[in-house]
Amino acid sequence: MRTVIADKRWAEKYPEIGTGPVAAEPLISQEHFELEREKIFRRTWLNIGRVEEIPNPGDYIAKDLTMCRASVLIIRGRDGEVRGFHNVCSHRGNKLVWDEKGTCKGTLTCGFHAWAYNTKGELTWVPDEDNFFDLPKCDLGLTPIHTEVFEGFIFIHLAERPPESLREYLGGVADQLEGGGFGELALAKRYRVDEHANWKIALDAQNELYHLPFQHRRTIPEFCVLKDGQFTRLLDVRLFNHHSVYSSDPPEDRVGPATEKLAARFSVAETESRLPRIGSFDFYTIFPNMALLLFRGVSHDFYMSYNFWPQAVDRTDWDIKIYFRPAENAGQRVGQEYFTCLLRDLLQEDATAHEQIHIGLASRAKKELYFQDEEMQIRYFHTVLDRFYAEA
Amino acid sequence: MSAQKLPAEFADLEPFLDWALATERERTGKRLASSLEDIQAFYDHMSARVEAAMAYLNAFPLDTLPPEAERLFHLSLSLMEVANAVEMFQNPAVINGFDVKRFAPVEDV
Repeated sequence: MRTVIADKRWAEKYPEIGTGPVAAEPLISQEHFELEREKIFRRTWLNIGRVEEIPNPGDYIAKDLTMCRASVLIIRGRDGEVRGFHNVCSHRGNKLVWDEKGTCKGTLTCGFHAWAYNTKGELTWVPDEDNFFDLPKCDLGLTPIHTEVFEGFIFIHLAERPPESLREYLGGVADQLEGGGFGELALAKRYRVDEHANWKIALDAQNELYHLPFQHRRTIPEFCVLKDGQFTRLLDVRLFNHHSVYSSDPPEDRVGPATEKLAARFSVAETESRLPRIGSFDFYTIFPNMALLLFRGVSHDFYMSYNFWPQAVDRTDWDIKIYFRPAENAGQRVGQEYFTCLLRDLLQEDATAHEQIHIGLASRAKKELYFQDEEMQIRYFHTVLDRFYAEA
Repeated sequence: MSAQKLPAEFADLEPFLDWALATERERTGKRLASSLEDIQAFYDHMSARVEAAMAYLNAFPLDTLPPEAERLFHLSLSLMEVANAVEMFQNPAVINGFDVKRFAPVEDV
């Protein structure tokens, strides 16, 4: 028997968020997309990757941020420091690094005229330098971008002067996740989903569990199953400045399919990893476009991250990363494969739905959306969006 | 040099060797290109053998599997790939699934 949980707990906890319908227009309009470009993505801390992606001096990642009309270079210096720069050569503005990931022996060289920079972004070499006119070489390093790291997650801020540090920006999320041991886990799988949907439609669709027993009726029918006429309820919802987290526990009597049971046996590991979970599953929305998902796994905790990168008002690059403790043997690796295949197939169901929702909303047949109490965190996300849209 | 493709005690899996694929992209491709009947036959046979396979493979360091053990390892990964097709969808592809070319594994293993 389940404990009967009261309805409408979250509206009671956060009365200031309100309960009325939410406008659909920002999810599909070009006008809001342009507002987001200027007032959100250039004014907030954005997660670019993790420090494990650039473990050694000279390692770098480069990312074109279509939404920000910028290309970003993150490089680990010979001194071990992680720095961010505009990925733009000081000579003629050519993109300096063209691959998404790589390593250099201390020098990055532009492909256009071979201007070269060290790992601190300083201009070190200009071919035929004597034929230039008063070249202020010392001032012609790469343009720096504010770059800070929290628990191994690399964030950048494109403003000249970010209004707050990354730690301040993350606020209560950082309090909860600090010392979380994320670095003990390693990237096991990564998927890039090219979605024909607005980035907020994709994020909103992930930001609740109400849909689980319905949209995922084939994949995880026993999750959030409806029993005795009672809908399952979230364990907790917490709203932070800009961000939110919701938590849940799966049904205790969940059995799972045959191969999942096999996989659980293979996955048994000597070493445990424990992340700072609230429930068995925590979903953080880190404004604007990142989600962090913490799971109680069968052998150890694991986590996922989502980055929803807007490409156009109706196009999103959904970057999905799954992190496990590195497998020590074939059994653990095979067990992990089961869970990554399950997550992938389930997220395929979601990705399809994101596109159908975009088609539906783009028709403008519906002007407003109604959220129930278990969707409070989506309502809050839209409150935060409105706050940024209204900024000067 | 013997032409043995799998460890001797797993010779019964030889008819399924075309499922011994090293990358997720290949395994997904094989799943989508196969009939449910073929997937079911592989699933039934491999499910019954996978625990023995793990016991065998766990004796080796994961990064230095001999070639015939590696094929057994890849067969086991393919079982994980097809499990949902049998247990959840009764269909090779995800029902209401996404175009796999637009849902691509990166750094594919």
